[in-house]
Amino acid sequence: MNIDFLRRLLLFVVLLLAQALVLNHIHLFGYATPLLYVYFIISFNRNHPKSGILVWSFLLGLSVDVFSNTPGVATGAMTMVALLQPYVLELFIQRDSDEDLQPAIFSLGFSRYLYYSTLLTLIYCLLFFTLETFNFFNWKQWTLSVGGSTLLSVILILVVDNLRKNR
Amino acid sequence: MRNLLEFLAKFNHWFVFLALEVISMVLLFQYNNYQGSVWFSTANATAGKMLSWSAEVESFFSLSNVNEELTQRNLYLERQVKSLSDKLTETTRDSSWMRRDKLEVLKDFKLIPAKVVSNSLNRHDNLITINKGTADGVTRDMGVACGTGVVGIVYLASQHYSVVIPVLNTKSNISCQIRGRRYFGYLNWDGHNSKRAFIDDIPRHAHFKLYDLVETSGYSSVFPPGIAVGKILHVYNSVDGLSYRLEVELSTDFAKLRDVCVIDNKPMQEQLDVLRAAQDSLKTKESN
Repeated sequence: MNIDFLRRLLLFVVLLLAQALVLNHIHLFGYATPLLYVYFIISFNRNHPKSGILVWSFLLGLSVDVFSNTPGVATGAMTMVALLQPYVLELFIQRDSDEDLQPAIFSLGFSRYLYYSTLLTLIYCLLFFTLETFNFFNWKQWTLSVGGSTLLSVILILVVDNLRKNR
Repeated sequence: MRNLLEFLAKFNHWFVFLALEVISMVLLFQYNNYQGSVWFSTANATAGKMLSWSAEVESFFSLSNVNEELTQRNLYLERQVKSLSDKLTETTRDSSWMRRDKLEVLKDFKLIPAKVVSNSLNRHDNLITINKGTADGVTRDMGVACGTGVVGIVYLASQHYSVVIPVLNTKSNISCQIRGRRYFGYLNWDGHNSKRAFIDDIPRHAHFKLYDLVETSGYSSVFPPGIAVGKILHVYNSVDGLSYRLEVELSTDFAKLRDVCVIDNKPMQEQLDVLRAAQDSLKTKESN
């Protein structure tokens, strides 16, 4: 029960409550919903135990599902993105960077952090809305949802990361 | 073996991933239909529980009103049945005018609804407190009944509260009769079972059956005739062997007594006063 664990737990609860109580009620233009909790995965540092990332993300996805009546949707997507996160992070950092580098604007630089978070968020939104609709008949709606939600989520993630840096 | 363990240690996150992903897919396919969704129903059950609780609370509050009304209504109807059946016997068999007159007199009694404030069952001499007193027209020696039957007699009345001697008091003594047979006796309680009471002084020549209903006779001047008391469970001989002693299952559940009615019986009060005067004069004679 170290300080890192407590911080992560706090982030978990804050993101969950923000999503369940506020963000889930936002449907911009009828299709874009900010999925801020992806930030939970994005913020895992380099060389964090992979199983740990998976379990944490799984639990957050499960909790979000419970609150938004979408069983398995966020859970599955979160677990998948949690698997990819270490590999995606490796793409955007130099080989000689810190062993426990914390992905953030100040550590990666704005553009690289933007790409990194956008890629993960995009994967997440793709998975999420695919699992949610589970058919491609309504592909226009699907595309708009993925695009709009990714955009909104990335903007929010940048804002939150900025806030955390200033802390 | 060591290689296998190493392999497992190196790739453990894949197994974790597979396990978690399987769980989420099971959730997705098992529960994500709109009918059998556990999470869905969990959320809905939460909301539903909330709503049903609030509805229960609301209906609980309105229930007390409904109960009160029903108590009064029940008493009224029971009285009506009694008077109608009596009238019927009067028209079919020729009965005296006396009884009809009595019924006419009984028509103008008043019911005062009251709530039980405190109650006891486990003592020898139980007392009930109700939330109506002299300010509401309750006075000493008025009868108290509830929807299911007789309760007791007002013993003390303060301005806003009254103490009632219920049937479950060894001092209580209520005149009652076997419904349809007119044999009467006195209801009393032995201080043991709160569901059972005894009726003394039923004559030996009386004809009745087990499970016959017992009701107030109207002779005690406190209760109008026809209020339910209970039904006969056993018949015993009295101690002196001159009469029967009936064990009666009380129709009133004193354990959950909540709404009662005080019976204001003005014309009967006069009769009671006369009776009491007579008793007093007899007592003075005896003591002399």
